[in-house]
This record gives sequence, structure tokens and C-alpha cells, in this order.
Amino acid sequence: MLDLRLPSGAFFAITGLILVVLGVVSNPHAPMSLSASGPDVNVDLYTGLVMLAFGAFLLLLARRGRSA
Amino acid sequence: MVPLHLTPVDYVILVLYFAFVIGIGWRLRKSVTSSTEFLTAGHNVPVWITSLAFLAANLGAQEVVGMAASGAKYGIMTSHFYWIGAVPAMLFVGVFMMPFYYGSKARSVPEYLKMRFDEKTRGLNAITFAIMTLFSSGISMYALGKMFQLVLGWSFDASVLLSAVIVLAYTYLGGLTSAIYNEVLQFFLIVVGFSPLAIISVSRAGGWTGIQQRLPDVMTHAWRYIGSADQNPMGVEAFGLVGGLGFVLSFGYWCTDFLVIQRAMAANSMSAARRTPLMAAFPKMIMPFIVILPGIAALALTKMGSGYALPPKGDSYDYDQALTTLMAQFYPSGLLGVGLTALMASFMSGMAGNVTAFNTVFTYDIYQGYLKPNESDSHYLNVGRVTTVVGIALSIATAYLAAQFNDIMDFLQLVFGFVNAPLFATFLLGMFWKRATGHGAFWGLLSGTGAAALTFCLSVAEGKGGALGVLHSFPSQMAQNFWIAIIAWTTCAVVTIAISLVTTACPDSQLRGLVYGMTEVPHEAGVPWYMRPAPLALVVLACLCFLNLIFL
Repeated sequence: MLDLRLPSGAFFAITGLILVVLGVVSNPHAPMSLSASGPDVNVDLYTGLVMLAFGAFLLLLARRGRSA
Repeated sequence: MVPLHLTPVDYVILVLYFAFVIGIGWRLRKSVTSSTEFLTAGHNVPVWITSLAFLAANLGAQEVVGMAASGAKYGIMTSHFYWIGAVPAMLFVGVFMMPFYYGSKARSVPEYLKMRFDEKTRGLNAITFAIMTLFSSGISMYALGKMFQLVLGWSFDASVLLSAVIVLAYTYLGGLTSAIYNEVLQFFLIVVGFSPLAIISVSRAGGWTGIQQRLPDVMTHAWRYIGSADQNPMGVEAFGLVGGLGFVLSFGYWCTDFLVIQRAMAANSMSAARRTPLMAAFPKMIMPFIVILPGIAALALTKMGSGYALPPKGDSYDYDQALTTLMAQFYPSGLLGVGLTALMASFMSGMAGNVTAFNTVFTYDIYQGYLKPNESDSHYLNVGRVTTVVGIALSIATAYLAAQFNDIMDFLQLVFGFVNAPLFATFLLGMFWKRATGHGAFWGLLSGTGAAALTFCLSVAEGKGGALGVLHSFPSQMAQNFWIAIIAWTTCAVVTIAISLVTTACPDSQLRGLVYGMTEVPHEAGVPWYMRPAPLALVVLACLCFLNLIFL
């Protein structure tokens, strides 16, 4: 049976990577914090990093599950 | 002029998602060798997957978009749909009802009714359920076509056909397993795609304290204004809310609807089946922060004059557009692609959930039950596959019917409500009172549905109902729905008990494994507490009290 962690991990890692690259290229000087009046934060970069980390985590779990 | 503009990278993300979805179905196609694998996933799915699918099958796009709209319209009171409605019902089905569903070895909810009661009760449930799932699937296709037309300018036909073809591809290839696996991917995507929107919109509105300052008190308190119906925007009072929404409607849905029960029944053991709804309850409790908060923030941002405003509609706002207009305002290209893919995913999970429930009920309960009972398993596998294709074709037809005749759809949804309202009484009595009989259950269901229709025809709310005269006037349609449910449930319970007492009881030998007291309680000694249903449910309950207290 297919281990679901592999395809979902791969999907989030790839999509996360796309967003990170996009965030870095399109908006390199965006601020870190969100506030009511401040300028736009680099949401592509941060969401991309979270997706990348989540994807990598799933792939890691799948790898450990296979070797066990 | 459309609100959302996609760039090539957004399309790349959408296409990537479609490729993964179909790829999962393609990889699973070899594991489908029998009708049980295709239609019930062969009782072979790990519990973390069944529990997320249990959640995602219900998390259609109408839910996501609708909850943001209700958040903007009713405020934090919308959370009652989760914290009073869905979550307690999920605990109940996991702790108390799953032993009978899973232990009976039934392949569907109607089949359980046949084992417990009789053929006619099963027939009634199977046929109404099959019709209702087809229509819900069609209605969600229609909603998808309308939304993508409105926010992206895509053609209605193209959106409907595209989504139908993709859902067909992965459910036809991998059956229920494929639908369940994809629902998990869809769930992750919904969380990842919409959480940034909640975070951005709430911080833009000045955080929760900022929202509290800008909105009337009633929008940021879930319980304080519930004493009487005229104090809160929902127009409901505490008893109607807790009894109608909490007890009757939510328990009726989560404890009897085969669409969700099917996911738990796919688990690989009794213990996993019971933990499925319990583990799903944890993320379910958190969902209001992702789907309701953006709606409330949208209203606060509108009041602030911050550059974002809900689109006007008449002398109020078009709340249904809260989610998509927030995305247009705050999501840059890239993240917009993720958000849109999440929206597409939630439409498709709603559709696939209905289609997989429909093909199982049709194949096992209608085709095998009444049309051709004694065929080989490969025959039923083929019927299951053909039913999947036919089901999706009929859903598309329904979507176009909905586009042509909006009134018919409203009417049908009303009728479906009447059919569903009494169901929970039947299951409760069936599982916990061994004296309940098939005749009692059948006539109880029919009279409950009749009582619901009669209540609707004798009461009026916001101009709806009252066809036979007006005995009572409700402050809102929501209050009317809740009270219709309460009356239908009570009627069904009373009639079932009365008729059961004057008809012959089932012999005990036929009730083994189906009724409380006649079923072996699963052995739990030596199992760690976090793997046992009751302690898990208590943890969820404690969190639930805490959440309700915060937003009191």
C-alpha cells in the first residue's frame, strides 16, 4: 500500500520551495512583523518556509517508517 | 472585472496539485481487486488517515466559504456550530456508537439498519440517502462553477467539467482508499491555504482586542446574548441552540450520516474506528480560528475604513464574498495560487465524499439488496465502478438543474432537512434499547419527517413557511430550523417507542453485536490512556469548556 506521507510530503516541499523562491525574488526587503498599519509582510516567503518544513517533516517520517 | 488575478505561478501550483491527486489514484489502482476494497477500502487504512478524512469529507467549500460568511454576519456565535454542534457529536459517535457500527460488520449505515431493524427501514434510508448525496454533490459542483465564474471569470462549464473529470479519475482508479487519501491532502492544503488569511486579516484589524473595540459586544461573545432570541443576530435562544443545533442536528449528522461514518468504518481495527472521530475532534476544535475569524476580521476591517471593505449588497453586505475578497486583498501571487488550490480542493473533497458514499450505498444496499442479490464479487466491483461514473454524470446534471431552477434546489434542501431531522432518534433507540422494533423504526422515521414538514407549514420565519396557516412566528430561519429538528426528533422517538411496544420484539439471538447490552465491550486493559476512547474524549471535552469560557 502507498505511504501517504511520501506524496503529501513531496507536494508540500515542492510548493513550499516555489513560494520561498517567489518570496525572495519578488519581495526581498519586506518587514518581519504584521501590524495594523505597517507595510506588507513577505507572506509568500514565510508560508513557503512553513510548507517546506512540513513537507520535509512528512518525508522524514516516511523514511524512518520504511527503515523500521 | 473580476476580483482575483492569477499569474502563471498560481496556475503551476494548481496543476501540480491536480497531478498529485491523480497520481495518488494511479498508484492505488493496483490495490483494488475486490468490491470491498473499492467501496469500503478493505478496512485497511491507518487511523491518522481515517481521522483526517473524517474531518475533510465534511469540510467542503460551502462550509469554508459559509463559515467565513457567518463569521461576518453573526460573529463568534458561529463557533457554536463547532463547539456545541460538531465536536460533542463526534465524541458521542466515537465513544458510544462506533462499537455497534464497526462491530456489526455492516458495509454501510443502511446495512446496519437492515441487521438491526428490517428491510423496509433500510430501503427508506438507502434510497433517500442515495438521492440526497447525488444532489449535494451536484450542488457543490454548481457552487464551484458559480464561484470560479465570479472571482476568476472562468467559464461555468469548464470549471464544472474540470473538477468532475479529476474527481472521477481518482475515485474510479483507487476507489474509497483514493478518496480518503486525497481528503487528507486536501485537509492539509485547507489548513495551510487559509491559516495565513486568518493571521493577516486579524492582525490587520488590530488583533482580537482591536476587533473587540471596533465591533459591537454581541459579535465577540458566544454566550452572553443567548438568553433571548431578540438580543443576538442569529435570532435563537439557548434551548433552541443547544437542543436543535447541538443535540438533534449535529448528532444527527455526525452520528448517522454514512458519508462521515464510512471513513471511520474504513479503519483497520475496532479501536482505530472508535478513535477516528475522537482524533478528528482535536483539529475540528481549531477550525473556527481558521474559517470563522477571517469573516469577523473582514467586518472589523470594513468598519475601520482600512482600504478593505466587504462588497455591499442591498443595504447590508454580501457576506458570501468575505473569504474571496480577503484573499484578493491580502494574498500575493503564489500564496493566491495556494489559497485557490485549497478552495478547489475543498470543493473536490465534498464531491468525492458524496460520490464514494453514493456508490457504496447504491451497489450494496440497492443493487445487491434489491436488484441482483446473488452475483460474484467481481460483478459488484464492476457495478461499483460504473456507479461511480453514473453518479458523477448525474451530479453534473444536478449542477445544471440547480443553475436553471434555483427554487427547486431550495425546495429539495428543505425536504432533505425534513428527512434527516428524525434520524438520530432512530439510531439512538436502535443502539441502546433492544426492545425497539423494525415497524417502530420505520413508522417513527416517516412520522418524524411528517412532523418536520407540518411544523414548517404551520410556522413562519423571515417570510418562509406557513403554507397551512401560522401558529407560531420565529425570529429567524435558523431558529425555525432548530425547532423543526427538535419537534421531528421528539415525534420520531415517541412514535418509535409506542409502536415498538405493541409489536413483536426481535429475538435476542438476532441482536448480538448490534445493541447495547448484547455486544461485547472492547477489551482495553493494558492499552495506554491516550489510545483509549473515554480518556481521549474527556481531554477534548476539557478543551471545549476552556474554548467556550474564553469567548463567553
